[in-house]
Amino acid sequence: MMPRRDKIRTSKSTPMDETMHAYDQAAESYRVAWAQMLDASTRAAKSGEVLGQTQRDEVQIAETPADEVFRVDKVRVFRYRPIAKVRKDLAPVLICYGLFGRQTMIDLQDDRSMVRNMLAQGVDVYVVDWGTPTRADQYLSLDDYIDFYLRSCVEHLVEENGGRPINLFGICEGGTFAVALAALEPKLFSGLALAITPVDFDGEPEKFWPGEGFLNTWFKNLEEEDIDRLIDTYGMLPGAMTGVVFSSLTPINSMTKYNLGIARMEGDKAAILNFLRMEKWIADRPDHPGRAAKQWLTNLYQRNELTRGEFEVTGRKVDLTKIACPVLNIYAEQDHIIPVSCSKALGRFVKPKLYEEIGFPGGHVGVFVSRKAQGVVAGGICEWLDRMGKGAKSKPAGKKTSTKKKK
Amino acid sequence: MASPNDSVKQMFDVWQQSQDAFMSAQRDFAENIGKSFAQAAGADEIDADADVAETWQAFMKSWTPLWDPSGSLSGLSGAPDSLDFTHLLDPRNWTAHAPEQLRGMLESISHGPEFADLATPQADAAKVWREVLDFQEAAADFSKVLQDAWLRAFSEYSSKHSVDDLKSGKVQEALDRWLKIANSHLLETQRSQPFLDAQKRLLRTGVEVKRRQREQAEAWCAEYQIPTRSEVDDLTHIVHELRAELRAAQRELRNVRSGGKK
Repeated sequence: MMPRRDKIRTSKSTPMDETMHAYDQAAESYRVAWAQMLDASTRAAKSGEVLGQTQRDEVQIAETPADEVFRVDKVRVFRYRPIAKVRKDLAPVLICYGLFGRQTMIDLQDDRSMVRNMLAQGVDVYVVDWGTPTRADQYLSLDDYIDFYLRSCVEHLVEENGGRPINLFGICEGGTFAVALAALEPKLFSGLALAITPVDFDGEPEKFWPGEGFLNTWFKNLEEEDIDRLIDTYGMLPGAMTGVVFSSLTPINSMTKYNLGIARMEGDKAAILNFLRMEKWIADRPDHPGRAAKQWLTNLYQRNELTRGEFEVTGRKVDLTKIACPVLNIYAEQDHIIPVSCSKALGRFVKPKLYEEIGFPGGHVGVFVSRKAQGVVAGGICEWLDRMGKGAKSKPAGKKTSTKKKK
Repeated sequence: MASPNDSVKQMFDVWQQSQDAFMSAQRDFAENIGKSFAQAAGADEIDADADVAETWQAFMKSWTPLWDPSGSLSGLSGAPDSLDFTHLLDPRNWTAHAPEQLRGMLESISHGPEFADLATPQADAAKVWREVLDFQEAAADFSKVLQDAWLRAFSEYSSKHSVDDLKSGKVQEALDRWLKIANSHLLETQRSQPFLDAQKRLLRTGVEVKRRQREQAEAWCAEYQIPTRSEVDDLTHIVHELRAELRAAQRELRNVRSGGKK
């Protein structure tokens, strides 16, 4: 860093000297700035050229082939087609994303796909697709999503698995759904994997780093009446609104990604396509059903009912200590959406011999899309499944049910 | 040499004198602004924490020493207590904030007594207008909180860096430092109480405008025999409840059947 001009003045300088000095400095600075701006513009133009040549069809996500195996209302379960020659002798894994985004995050592109990595390891992978909720779905509650839709999906796979329990992999809000169902219906599960999942919605604010925990702070700052009026007015929690909220969590990054961010890619086609895939995923943000959103914001974010043992699903209290299967809890150390302490809190409720954690050195989305995550997270889950597999398969999932629903 | 009675010269003199007077007045005005704002905000750096109203009062007092602006400014946060000329000088009335006179008028209409058959559309229109003004004001206040954060960021950056940094030839680094400082101030602000208050008010006023728009749209729909949003929502609710009852009955039936087999 250069010293400020006023700090390099000498007492012997005359006003004319100072003026000329300032002029020289300004001219030199202008010349340097102009040269650099030209250089930056040249590099930015390369990105602009690539962007201009890129067709919408080139930007594809979630391309791993999958087939629908179950449907109830708008909710569908897809089974990914195996790609490994040898299938592991493990209970199937059902992936459950939240309602604030799409499950396509787990399969953003071929070389950064959690799903492909698991399939390559011979794991049988299924995913829940919640569909596109509209205002016709505004009265669906968390009871419906946890105890009816998710439970129906799980029961279907348990039935397909010969009545044996399955592994459930919950992500973000879907992780909270998974935790609640695992506590209510422990016999359905041989293992519970979680990623970036909020459990304690207070967390430890005194330990938050500067960009952490804004959602917790902002939602707690609202009155219940504010949330009610918002949801009652829109019927849903609009996806566009949650998109703006998420963007404002990282203000400078959101302001510079379309200018400096793209310019700095310097025409790197692969980097630009990665960026565009992520943009495509972000743009596809569904509305969150209203009643479920009210419960999410009020009962969980504001009242923190889950860790207090007060959260109810269809009239039954969710007791987290009832989780009886092995748990792998993955959190992101630089997660600006779900604070680390909000995720790690689950460890207080699950028996230590059943509980494991992986702290991923990255952000909320990086858990799935970064190159590093493919080894740490996908590899970690597969390794954990291998270890847990034998014990889980040997036990029946309790009462056998028949819940297959097709429309 | 032109004659002293030359009309062209006389015109030229008059023009020159008026220019001198004009420039002199500009100089005095600029000096007064400089002195006042320098006192309120500090001589060589921007004091982003300085209260705008106080700064304005200091400036006005230096410009018109015999006039006390505090009286007219004191009522601006609440209902207007006077409609005098000084309101026109309040910088808050130059922004997206509604003139207090207009707000006062709308308040008196929308909060006035309700008549069964008189002036109902006008009262409704006044309510809508007032709510839109509330939203605009909340948006302006929200922007102000963020503007203050940018000012603080700029203040910090300019205290540590100058145009001389460009001589290092590392413009990219200078830009990154600026973005880092700005990000830090924005994050800090987003956790502050003024931001939280402004954010809450922005949400509330925005929702109220949306609710009012819906009421207006529904009134129009009702007029033309078109189903309203509320009616569709009612129907959706009924269907939802019926489906929930059906599911519960189906589940109970399954339980009975599986229990019977045992």
